[in-house]
Amino acid sequence: MIGLLLLIIPFQTDTIATSSQNLDEVVVVSRGQGSKRSVKGQVATIDEHLQELSHVELVRRGSYAWEPTVNNMQTERLSTTIDGMKIFYACTDKMDPVTSYVESGNLQSISLNSGLNGNPQATGNIGGALDLKLRKAGFGTDAFLLSSQAGYETNGNVQVYGADASHSSQSFYVNGGAFYRHADNYKAGGNKKVDFSKFQKVNAFVNSGFRLAEKDALEATFIYDRASDVGYPALNMDVAKAEAFITSLAFKHLFEDSKLESWETKGYYNHITHVMDDTTRPDVQIHMDMPGESWTAGAYSLLTGSFGRHQTQLNLDSYYNRLFADMTMYPGGAAPMYMVTWPDVGTLNVGAALTDNIRLTDASSLHLSGKLSWQHQRLNNEEGYHALSVFFLGMKQQYHQTTGRVAANYQLSIHNSQLSIGAGWGSRAPTVTEAYGYYLNNTFDQYDYIGNPRLKNESAIELNSSYQLSTLNSQLSIGLDANAFFFSNYIIGQFENRLSAMTVGAEGVKVYGNIDHATIANASLTAEWCPVKGLRWSAKGAYSIGRDNEGDRLPLIAPFTYQSRLSYATGPLSVQAEVKGHTRQAKYGQKYGETETAAWTIVNLSANYAWHHFILRAGVENLFDKYYATYADWCHIPQKGRNIYVNLSFEL
Amino acid sequence: MKKVKGLFLVLIVAALTACNSNDDGVEAGIEIPGITITDDIDCCSAEEALQVYNFLQTVKIVPELSTVIDGKYNVFAYTQTGSFHNGYNEIFFVATKKATGNYIKNFDITGLTPLMHMVKMDMYHSTPVGPAAVSFNKDYLAVKRTWVSFLMNTSEAGSWTLSYDALVLGKTGGIEKKDIIVNALPDGQAWLKSFKVGDATYYLSLVNPLDFKTGRNTITAYISKKSEKATVPYALAEETFTIDIDPRMPDMDNHTSVDNTSLTKQADGSYAGTINLTMTGLWRIHLTVKNSEGDVVAGGGELSSLYWDVTL
Repeated sequence: MIGLLLLIIPFQTDTIATSSQNLDEVVVVSRGQGSKRSVKGQVATIDEHLQELSHVELVRRGSYAWEPTVNNMQTERLSTTIDGMKIFYACTDKMDPVTSYVESGNLQSISLNSGLNGNPQATGNIGGALDLKLRKAGFGTDAFLLSSQAGYETNGNVQVYGADASHSSQSFYVNGGAFYRHADNYKAGGNKKVDFSKFQKVNAFVNSGFRLAEKDALEATFIYDRASDVGYPALNMDVAKAEAFITSLAFKHLFEDSKLESWETKGYYNHITHVMDDTTRPDVQIHMDMPGESWTAGAYSLLTGSFGRHQTQLNLDSYYNRLFADMTMYPGGAAPMYMVTWPDVGTLNVGAALTDNIRLTDASSLHLSGKLSWQHQRLNNEEGYHALSVFFLGMKQQYHQTTGRVAANYQLSIHNSQLSIGAGWGSRAPTVTEAYGYYLNNTFDQYDYIGNPRLKNESAIELNSSYQLSTLNSQLSIGLDANAFFFSNYIIGQFENRLSAMTVGAEGVKVYGNIDHATIANASLTAEWCPVKGLRWSAKGAYSIGRDNEGDRLPLIAPFTYQSRLSYATGPLSVQAEVKGHTRQAKYGQKYGETETAAWTIVNLSANYAWHHFILRAGVENLFDKYYATYADWCHIPQKGRNIYVNLSFEL
Repeated sequence: MKKVKGLFLVLIVAALTACNSNDDGVEAGIEIPGITITDDIDCCSAEEALQVYNFLQTVKIVPELSTVIDGKYNVFAYTQTGSFHNGYNEIFFVATKKATGNYIKNFDITGLTPLMHMVKMDMYHSTPVGPAAVSFNKDYLAVKRTWVSFLMNTSEAGSWTLSYDALVLGKTGGIEKKDIIVNALPDGQAWLKSFKVGDATYYLSLVNPLDFKTGRNTITAYISKKSEKATVPYALAEETFTIDIDPRMPDMDNHTSVDNTSLTKQADGSYAGTINLTMTGLWRIHLTVKNSEGDVVAGGGELSSLYWDVTL
């Protein structure tokens, strides 16, 4: 029995997190069953998988490393963990959201907790918490599995090659693989070439487990990821290298005949090196070197148990992160100019989290979660500290913050419908950029940003509810989902007219500040209809608003977005047609430098055919070669024009 | 057996003659290379001498300015680099007894006179200098400091000589018109500027800008007035001015910084203010000079044409 448990738990690492189905949303990346999956299968990028999640949009600065937003909130208000491990991006210009340091082949699934109800390791997750679940073969009967994928896309000459293999036995498992992606500059609709949009990436990973005793196992993870020559058409610079080492070692114990179920303790270390590059750009006024580094070491210990109606998790975690970035500018002939943009900030964070799922009756349940964290920050670089001190006279070299979150969610199932209501409160500490960033140029509004070490914690009250109705013999289901976040001390860049811009061509300087309050609210309506077996039609519409304390619009808030899919599956073949788009973003954040985005609609077609050990997937994206940009396309860089893809997977 | 005895003997001899590793061969007590500490009341104690010695390690000797007085005393001059450059140069003097090498506590350096010979016109002029050399810090009683701010560097157009008078334990001496080389500053450095009020010419000497670091810095300068007779060293101006500063980065669209404060006159005759530098690189410090009534007498306006250049 224990053997079976061990087999199941490592393999389906999302079992625990998805125990409360309606709170979490999962997109399946690797082999496995799940309703949400990219039509491109495992060949899809992490970003394409993320697009499948509702509540998620992607901010795009190029064709690589998109920044996920959840409930219209960006990285600052989200938690992103890899199997519970903290990892922090190393680029002051957000060119490398941490989701860019893993590959589809590394992952089993991506789980999303919307809002304040985060996974136990999450901190600062006002908007939501993403956890990237690593793919682990798990213990089992002697088995050897092999899979490989190859893909090609016409637009941008995208090539994808991946292969992985796994071996599992009762006492040992190992799985590993390698992935390679290459893309040239893509073309937007109307055959318009988008310069500086190419990229190249290699990734390799190994996961392994040893069973020490019947109920004890040791698991290790190693991921190496390196992207090179990555273009960012929306920015002034590209990236020469973005490299990550991600490692962990975990000890798992399963309890027998006990109310306790499992206990996992994991230690981890990751290191990111990010090197920007403007040497290939024409007309560069001043060449710049802008490297950044991020080191994180940490540990968490998660205990789960069942006590009658309660299913409880207790998690203790701690991490130490260091972020350093600097910039050297080389004006022709004159002396180089140097500044520290992230002053080697060391953050030590400790936290304790508790979640409890209470089965009230057969039809109703209550989910409670809470976390308390404390962190200490020190500016280890003297030069950076003294530079920032110019603007904040008497600032200290060390700061500490206490943050916390609590969330409650009540679910009731009656007949064919399911109702959920929830509320929560949570706070987050300012990020290193918000607190200590130094003249970070933002191409979105063309301002240089300076951090503010005296920021207050930002906090929010969240209210959410959803209603799901299944009718006509379950042929039709309709869902309504809404949430609202009422912020206090919302952190955003504010004009500072006294300061002069550093970046040539910048409009001016903004300093991060707290505004008294702000509101972000989201609502979506989904419908799914399966009139006959194999035929499925789904539609979704979503609308969001974001306002600051003066009633002005916040930037990067989605207008009305819609998506409709019709799919038909018969035997080994399935085909799908999709229409998606958004209306004109009329209510944009003008005050924050945002400009209007036009409406757009595109059509995608896809098909896949399974034959023995092979799956062939092919499709056309942007069938009518529409030239368009979404509201989340940084500086309105255009999306891909018509793109035909074909990929082949082999699984043994 | 004999062999064994012999072996023991070797071991004993070795043990008796071997040195301990923490025995560095020096007698106990403070030892300063080249200096014999005696109970000489004219000279430094061992502790004072060590402080002076250590300070002198941070500067370099200017060989052409050394002199011997009365056969018994040496006078040495030092600058930060062992040479001179355009603009403000600090000069440090020490006097030693030849016999012991120890530093003499009380001595006077006066009459520091730099003189430029302009070859083509066969004309001579001096340049701004500091007041008489004084001990600049209670820890370094035996070090006298003053400064000279060179208007121009040595070139085909002209060359510099330097003179000074020394009074050491009742004996006088010094050097007379020794040739010195004044080097040009590299591009991006201009630390001495002049302005005119009526017929009078004033000089703005920026003090040690290479000590500036990214962040908040104290900025110090001197204002000297050209002597009526140009060959007389230019002394500090007696008038009181205020110097407003506007630091800019010409390579960065004239990026500037905030909270810079004007240089105002201090008790010692220097001018001091605060300058904030947001990064390294070339900073052009635009100047507006006001008189005691607050009227602009030099520079002024947006991006004043009166400026110092500092590259850090």
